[in-house]
Amino acid sequence: MVRVFSLLALAMALVLSGCASRVDYGDAQARETVTADFGSTDLQMIATKMVDDMMVFPPIVEMTRDRRPVLFVDRIKNKTSEHIDTESVTDTIQSKLINSGKFRFVDMSVVDRVREQLEYQQDSGMVDQASAAQMGRQIGAEFMLYGNLSSIVKRDDSTKDVYYKFTLKLLNIQSGIIEWSGEKEIRKTRKRSLFGF
Amino acid sequence: MLVRNGVALLLAMVLLSGCATRSLFQPYPSQARAWTADMAAEGPAPLLRKGVDSRDGVLYLQELGRVRQLSGAIEDSESAFRRAFGHYDETDAAARLRASSLVSNTGALLVNDNARPYVAPDYERIFAHAYQALNYWRENDVTATAVELRAAANEQRVAANRRDDEIAAAQEAARDEGVQPADFDSHFAGLDAAAGEVKASFQNAWTFYLSALFWEAHGEYNDALVDYKKALEIHPDSAMLQEDVARLSRAQDGRVERDKGLVAVVYEQGLVPARRELSLPIPTPHGLFAVAFPTYSAADKPRPAPLTVAVDDTTARTEVLTDVGGLAARHLREQLPGMLVRQTLRATTKYNLQKKANDDFGPVGAILTQIFNVVSEQADLRSWLSLPAYAQATRLMLPPGEHRLQLSTPGGGASLTVPVVEQGVTVIHVVATPGRLITRVLPVQEGPL
Repeated sequence: MVRVFSLLALAMALVLSGCASRVDYGDAQARETVTADFGSTDLQMIATKMVDDMMVFPPIVEMTRDRRPVLFVDRIKNKTSEHIDTESVTDTIQSKLINSGKFRFVDMSVVDRVREQLEYQQDSGMVDQASAAQMGRQIGAEFMLYGNLSSIVKRDDSTKDVYYKFTLKLLNIQSGIIEWSGEKEIRKTRKRSLFGF
Repeated sequence: MLVRNGVALLLAMVLLSGCATRSLFQPYPSQARAWTADMAAEGPAPLLRKGVDSRDGVLYLQELGRVRQLSGAIEDSESAFRRAFGHYDETDAAARLRASSLVSNTGALLVNDNARPYVAPDYERIFAHAYQALNYWRENDVTATAVELRAAANEQRVAANRRDDEIAAAQEAARDEGVQPADFDSHFAGLDAAAGEVKASFQNAWTFYLSALFWEAHGEYNDALVDYKKALEIHPDSAMLQEDVARLSRAQDGRVERDKGLVAVVYEQGLVPARRELSLPIPTPHGLFAVAFPTYSAADKPRPAPLTVAVDDTTARTEVLTDVGGLAARHLREQLPGMLVRQTLRATTKYNLQKKANDDFGPVGAILTQIFNVVSEQADLRSWLSLPAYAQATRLMLPPGEHRLQLSTPGGGASLTVPVVEQGVTVIHVVATPGRLITRVLPVQEGPL
């Protein structure tokens, strides 16, 4: 009888502890394999590979030896069947490139707000003209970064296979030449387990 | 013995209380009447929201997404469909033998098949993705629309792969009869008309057509051609689809029609028929034994009625691209073998229960268990019921500018002014629900993606 009760108590303890939700901090760089969908690890892998490739490409090394070219990020076309925030991928790449100290960026997504601020400084009469930023002094970008994220998904009753291909290109705006292009492939397979809860 | 009875009672209580308000004892179609009667109304949404956390959550989410879409609450509809997609992913990733489904299978064994959690069949998944695409389309979120259309295409492919054997058999039969794919001219190269009829029973030509329109609008002629061809495979005799394929073949060669824009009407007619219960009473030495099966009745199916579009002096009539009742019936047929196995097991369980009650408690016990058996024997009538009976479409080529369109259906008409853009596509989504014609002009799609 005692054994039955202790077993019951153990079962209760297990059930109850399983119910209590817990919050914990994890390593942001840890491998995430919750599902086969596009996740943080894919984003980090792509960004790292792209930046590493670009920084060791000889013509780029040559070009950035004694100057810091100005770039702008166009956009990454999402050609997958998932809703992916491709801007967050380019943001990571951009941060890494800026932090390398070899490139500078102009941001096309804030042009309107910058214009608003410039107009305020110029025309509102509130700003000391000695310190006001001047119109028409911005530096033009020399290169454009753009690319594609595409995927091939195959699924049957037991397996899901996802293949992602990320392509990034660096284009010289004046000459139209693609100076560099990088590619990262990711393949993930999810197999359904036979037993589970 | 006492303990075992207690456990059984407890189990029964847990099983029954968990879903007493749901489909276990109240047939799903009669619940659904609350929201299919007037789908664009605000009323049914709170009712559906009560169901979304139940074990049939995915079913209620699909209904909710659809109903909210028709009443114009796009964000609501989007979030409902998003949650439904979460359920799909869960189903796909779940272990094939699950402890939790063992419990509901036990419930199903004691009571009826409605105790099993609802799993959305592939034709419903295809529709859900298509509707989500229409939601994003209405918000003019081009990237998200493209994503959903691709997701719908993925589901169509999975549906086809699952029936590979059948498609192969149809192709074989066509070869034996001497139908050569080479009979078609070059526009139709690579078309697999032989498998069309089989594919029509589980693939959705209407969704293919919708995505083809979208790709064509954005100059993705290759994708558009593939989707038009897939729709044509399913309806090889459709003159409209043949023209579309020919037009896209020309566009791919750089011969795009200038000074024209496309106006397409995607039309959803009526409501998909609900399953009906077929009850077969089987006499046994211990009394009548009821066995219930779901079935579809041909009488429930409305006749397809086209919508006519008139502009100036040209008119066009919509064609039926997808017979949703057919898709549903086909899915039921595929479910039947498993259903039969469970039904037999259940009949045995219930028979034993009845026999035991007769032995232990005499006629009173037998009558009580018999009542339970008859009441609990309910067929699994669950399916997405706010889908249309037929999904149809047509299109017109019009010169750019504003045009006044006259839509007429047997249930009423509408007239609207739509913009037409050169090489753009204007889609009008028309839904004929009982007593109401809902029309929505979607933002014109043009230019590269």
